[in-house]
Amino acid sequence: MAPKAIASPIPDAWYPTLSVFMLAIGLVVTASFFIYEATSSRKTRSLAKELVTGAVASVFLGFGSLFLLLASGVYV
Amino acid sequence: MKIGVRLDVLVFTIALLSVPVLSDLILSKVDRRIDLTSQIARITSTLKVENAGNDLVSEVLLTIPDNQAKNLAYLTATSNEGKGKVKASAVNLPVEVVHPKGMPPALTFYSVSLPKGLGKGETFTLDVLAVFTHALQPFPEEITQANIQLVVFSDTAHFLSPYTVKVQSLIVKLPEARIESYTKIENTKIHGSEIKYGPYENLPPFSYSPIGVHFEANQPFVVAQELVREIEISHWGNVQVTEHYNLVHGGARSKGEFSRLDYQSRRYVGGASAVRSLVAKLPPRAHSVYYRDEIGNISTSNLWSDSKKTELEIEPRYPMFGGWRTAFTIGYGLPLQDFLFRAEGRRYLDFSFGCPMNEVVIDTLIVKVVLPEGSTDISVSVPFPVKQWQETKFSHLDVIGRPVIVLEKTNAVPEHNQHFQVYYKFSNLSMLREPLMLISGFFLLFVAGIIYMHADLAISKSSPSYLAKLQWDEVLAVIQQFQNNINRCLTIHDKLEASLRDLSRTGDVQACKAARKAFDGLLKDLSKDLKPLLAFLQSSPQASQILPKVEELVVKEKDLQEKLMAKHSMVVDGYEKKSGGREIENRIALQQQKITALRQEVDDLLEFIEEI
Repeated sequence: MAPKAIASPIPDAWYPTLSVFMLAIGLVVTASFFIYEATSSRKTRSLAKELVTGAVASVFLGFGSLFLLLASGVYV
Repeated sequence: MKIGVRLDVLVFTIALLSVPVLSDLILSKVDRRIDLTSQIARITSTLKVENAGNDLVSEVLLTIPDNQAKNLAYLTATSNEGKGKVKASAVNLPVEVVHPKGMPPALTFYSVSLPKGLGKGETFTLDVLAVFTHALQPFPEEITQANIQLVVFSDTAHFLSPYTVKVQSLIVKLPEARIESYTKIENTKIHGSEIKYGPYENLPPFSYSPIGVHFEANQPFVVAQELVREIEISHWGNVQVTEHYNLVHGGARSKGEFSRLDYQSRRYVGGASAVRSLVAKLPPRAHSVYYRDEIGNISTSNLWSDSKKTELEIEPRYPMFGGWRTAFTIGYGLPLQDFLFRAEGRRYLDFSFGCPMNEVVIDTLIVKVVLPEGSTDISVSVPFPVKQWQETKFSHLDVIGRPVIVLEKTNAVPEHNQHFQVYYKFSNLSMLREPLMLISGFFLLFVAGIIYMHADLAISKSSPSYLAKLQWDEVLAVIQQFQNNINRCLTIHDKLEASLRDLSRTGDVQACKAARKAFDGLLKDLSKDLKPLLAFLQSSPQASQILPKVEELVVKEKDLQEKLMAKHSMVVDGYEKKSGGREIENRIALQQQKITALRQEVDDLLEFIEEI
């Protein structure tokens, strides 16, 4: 079997774009999370909704900041 | 110094005189060429070996005096089959150190294994390349800035060998500069910058005829006392190389003072042997190149790149004279796909071992390969012997640390710039470790927020202010439910209006009636839900401020609802009686005005309550 070159799963050139979009989405979801926290009272708050919003926001923020690191040359 | 060397040699020659010949081999022709154009002495010898005995011989011994052997950096023997330009591909023959018995002391023996045994009368030609470092001794040892650098090289004019040598010659190639002196023995000729000794014929084993050459050598003697190369692999698409240099000028030491004026104005008179700049040949597509030392970036560097290579020209902070030192770091990133490959279920890195700069002698070369976290089954293949061990390194977003392969080689020369391979196993899923860490970090932040909002941090659970706050929270919750309720009512109102519009478009009276019925039911449910909320607000003292507004809102809403229903009925009636559109419009005009006014008031009240 001839040796095959290994490349990164996502082309390097996409990292800046991906990071901008994922961070933007992540920050919007984060904002909605905190708006929900601040506006709902203790009685009306639903834990499941908080956790789901938090999870979605952290997935986007996590990948967004990973791509930000990669795009700025910090190859983790 | 010269006299010392000669005395050594004299004693040595006497010791050699009565040594028995152990092998039946003879060397029928030896051509040697010593290249001294750089600080590294390269001796290329072509040996024609002939078996004069009856036994099969499978190895040839090479001899190097101990004082030279300690500077030996690289030794290879290649078979030289075929003639002239149509040489067959050179095959490297295995070379190892041996200690045969009965041989004179102060000699190191290397045994070259021949590819096949040499029978009686057969001949075999092999090329031997020996590379020596620190072989050129500066003489004088100390020079001023204006002086030129002179060095001495000493060797033997006769090939030192345990075998009889029939015909031999030696060419010493010097740099294109002044030759101060050289040993003249029989058959010595000088031709430009080449000194030729020989041919000499029929010399017995261990013949030794010392020669010395004293010449000008102004090329910089760049010696890296320590070079640490760190190669870090990231499967996200990068191979990061960081090289820490610790350089010293290994030539004649500088004495007296350094004049920057003389150095700058008379460039080719003063400081001819100083290190002005170094050129590192980096692989193609290198990016993010930097050159710095511990106090920051060094701006005197240039970078050229084309499709075949990247050239980085760096200038130290000051010109380096003999004995001066400098330490700096260069680093660059390389695309992953140029160096990382997959074969037989394993991944391997294929990278060059040595220093990317020309003609640099490295006393201690340490190559560290940092593999990604989660690599297993690591093995290394290096074409020459090295010291090897394993470490762990903690870098960005690591939990258990990255495995690091450390390879150490002493006395490395450009000939060691060969490719080596590091094999390892790695699962693609392990790449998700870093993003998962980031995600869990952010998620913890959110969880902390949730916990903070849910936690009750009051110290005294019975204080009046705490109780008031609890009640206020309840009031707020009820008001929110109340708002939701009213909002839903208003949506139903909108839907009613929409059903009227549908009616005017399609004329389907039955559908409109059915819709009306459904909405009636919904509105009734909503008003039923509203009652307990209102009752709570009326009973709570905290809500007394906003209660009037809330009640007003309820009344207005009810009013609005009634008016709307009336209007709805009128329109439906109109359609059933087949009245004209204009007539219906006229009849409901007044009603419509009131509805709009009421809706406005309801909206205002809602807004007011929302602001609480």
